Amino acid sequence: MSDKTPGRRGPILEVPLPTEAISLKRKPSGEPDSLFGRMNYNLQFIRGRGALEISIVLIVLLAGYVTASLISPTGFAFLNPNNLSGVISQSVPVLAILGLAAGILMIAGEFDLSLGANITLSAIVFIKTSEAAGLWLGIAAGIATGVAVALVNGIIVVYTKIPSFIATLGMSFFWMGAGIFINGTSPAALTTSREGTMEYLFAHNFGSFRSQLVWLLIIGVLAWFFMHRHKLGNHIFAVGGNPAAAEAISIKTKRVKLMSFAIFGGLVGFAAILIAVRTSSIQPGGTATEDFTLFAIAAAVVGGTSLTGGRGSVIGIIVGAALIELIRNGLLLAKAPGFYITLFVGVTIVIAAIFNKLMEGKAR
Amino acid sequence: MSEALLRIEGVSKKYGPNTVLKDVSFEIGKGEVVGLLGDNGAGKSTLVKIMSGVVDSTVGDFFWDGQKIEKMNRNVTEKLGVETIFQDSALVPQMTITRNIFMGREVTNRFGFMKMKEMDAVAAEVLDSVVTIEGIKSPKQLVSSLSGGQAQAVAIARAVHFKRSLLILDEPTSALAVRATEALLGYLTQLKGEGVSSVLVTHNLHHAFQVCDRHIVMNHGKKILDARREDTSVEELTAAVVEGAVGLARFREGSF
Repeated sequence: MSDKTPGRRGPILEVPLPTEAISLKRKPSGEPDSLFGRMNYNLQFIRGRGALEISIVLIVLLAGYVTASLISPTGFAFLNPNNLSGVISQSVPVLAILGLAAGILMIAGEFDLSLGANITLSAIVFIKTSEAAGLWLGIAAGIATGVAVALVNGIIVVYTKIPSFIATLGMSFFWMGAGIFINGTSPAALTTSREGTMEYLFAHNFGSFRSQLVWLLIIGVLAWFFMHRHKLGNHIFAVGGNPAAAEAISIKTKRVKLMSFAIFGGLVGFAAILIAVRTSSIQPGGTATEDFTLFAIAAAVVGGTSLTGGRGSVIGIIVGAALIELIRNGLLLAKAPGFYITLFVGVTIVIAAIFNKLMEGKAR
Repeated sequence: MSEALLRIEGVSKKYGPNTVLKDVSFEIGKGEVVGLLGDNGAGKSTLVKIMSGVVDSTVGDFFWDGQKIEKMNRNVTEKLGVETIFQDSALVPQMTITRNIFMGREVTNRFGFMKMKEMDAVAAEVLDSVVTIEGIKSPKQLVSSLSGGQAQAVAIARAVHFKRSLLILDEPTSALAVRATEALLGYLTQLKGEGVSSVLVTHNLHHAFQVCDRHIVMNHGKKILDARREDTSVEELTAAVVEGAVGLARFREGSF
């Protein structure tokens, strides 16, 4: 047995080992010095991680739209303030926030298919509380409902180990019913409380953009710092990527998953408020919000989020949501019949998923 | 001889009516490489889980450096510096090398935000000084782009960097190419010089015999052999692993 005490630093494992993989010394850093070289070097680590490829697609599409709109301002009214403010900056932020919710949960390796039902329930609670007790309590109640719904789902998934697909699909009917239970079957509507602060905060028209876009910016920046720079975000990636490895290093995987569900719920609750203020009324048990479930997951997938967890990026998800809404908007502006719109959106999602799968192999 | 790093006494484990471990006792000395051998179902992985604190033993006592440990759980083993490297799952493939090295032990400011530059720099240094692995261009590389051997090396480098005192390697060589295996076994020999103890769980006797100071053979939940390298032979180990206590007895009769 050795008498040496542990703790000495420095090279301790430099046996000249008989393998191609091992050498004596490596340059401390492979980073090149020139600006272009460094860009190229950094680029190779961004490739295949989700955001870059899809951003290029979005930029190309945007350039096309802008060109078409400049050539024919009336035939393709993309740059018309009514379109930018009324359509783009209302629909993109809502889908992007829901995409972030679904995406963060997917990175943690779980799904929540009760997203649509959660929106309905949170929106109803928000509307009823705002009408009865004022805006600020309404906001708190709406977000709290979103978190509570998601946490109940999360507890079921994490502790029973039922696949989240099944557990949350089942729960989605329960939450839909809960909406009817607390509100009855008539729509919950915002009346006097919508005027003033509430409208200004969540749906105000500033000319070429609306309040929702500002919220997306705030939430996007926060989400980026949380997911990509905070240690808790790092744990979410670790737990989704390889739960066994995370567990082995003493990360509490159950706690991290529950936290992801809670974040999901908070974002869904907030999006529900945006939707409620925009539409002024919510139909309990209605199907209007159900589309959001799959569209949110689609935005995340288009943005490069892995369906099996551990991979995804905040920028990618926002870009993915923007891409879906832009395609939908473009088809509307080009006066495509309603049927074709879902058809094209569907095709886009599948192509994006295939594209992602191909890129996954290229990731370094 | 000083106190053993980890001493296990009379450990048994029952899963319902099934007894997986029966009254197992052994010790792991400081800086010792111990081979834990046995066929599938011999109780090796249960023993690993108990030592790393993932699973509770039904009965048994544990002593760390002579001190009795009331309960082996993840918090305790983490504090003591036990690190388990499972064959394929030590790292998160979708994450960078830096993030893997610092996973769960991130360098952060007081708000919990990671100091990426600092972590990258330390990771580059770890890759340089602890294990020198060619083909790794940057700590920003994703682990999925590494070969099996490189990934194992990164996992070992991580354990060494955080001054783990007991490394448990669960079947580390089963997914590796021949040369990467040689390299891995070389690391273990070097770790020994640093006072890091390791337990090599394997059913490849030749790998074990190459590097381990001591061999423990498990069979049907019981320890049937515990011998220093110089007191045993590959043939004896083979007999014990393949045919259990009966084979071991027959081998000894034959050799006397």
